[in-house]
Amino acid sequence: MFHKLAEKLDQHLPIDRVDAHCDIPCGIYDPHHALIGALTVIRMVDLIADAVKTHGQTEGAEYRNHMARYIAVKEEHAELVKHEIRVIWGDFIKEKHLEDFPQLNGLVHKIMVLGSKSRQTVDRETALSLLDAVNEFAEIFWQIKGIETQRVSAPYSVKEEMVLPKF
Amino acid sequence: MILKLYKIRGHSLHPDIREGDYVLAAGFPFPAGKIKAGDVIIFQQPGYGMLIKRVRQVLDEGCTFEVRGTQVESTDSRNFGPVAREQISGKVIWHIRQK
Repeated sequence: MFHKLAEKLDQHLPIDRVDAHCDIPCGIYDPHHALIGALTVIRMVDLIADAVKTHGQTEGAEYRNHMARYIAVKEEHAELVKHEIRVIWGDFIKEKHLEDFPQLNGLVHKIMVLGSKSRQTVDRETALSLLDAVNEFAEIFWQIKGIETQRVSAPYSVKEEMVLPKF
Repeated sequence: MILKLYKIRGHSLHPDIREGDYVLAAGFPFPAGKIKAGDVIIFQQPGYGMLIKRVRQVLDEGCTFEVRGTQVESTDSRNFGPVAREQISGKVIWHIRQK
């Protein structure tokens, strides 16, 4: 009854909202975007290598356009990986998790370094190492959430393994 | 004593206080004088706006308060540190639940 009264009052005389705040959107964290970012970096490295192999001797406008786009996407997705991991690390990971998984801080730092290196180079090994590190982070993340994971071959042009939760 | 009604947005205190519930909060001077562990307070947190959390621990002889939500993902003192008394605008004295 009181709730209905409060709602009526709210309709006529708006009541202030107070946030029982989690990070917005509340409780929704997932390393999936970081994984997609890491896979995209690998794909762009492959496309760059293919373009050089195919058109490297005839550097026309088409080639330059393709190359510029590949590099831009690689830059963007390497940075996306760093951003997504930083958000989960800063907003979701608590002190207790760092005690339970003492390797976490080192792992996040490794992802930051590999993310930057993936921007600076076209080294496939670096891109694969970035994906490995993000997969390891994803496994820890889902373990914290108490959700089992599985490693599956990515259903994209890049077939490397990715960690997915077993919902 | 200033009384003010607030509507809850978010799930940080779920299931104790749910999104869409209303709470009546008493402003300074707070009822019974002190804020103690277990009280639910409303406070202004820079960068987050007006928040509602439960006091977990009273620190510095009542000058600051460690606050917590009920969820792993709750944004609380684990993220922004203790809340100063000056930030607090009310203590919840009545919780109006939805059916």
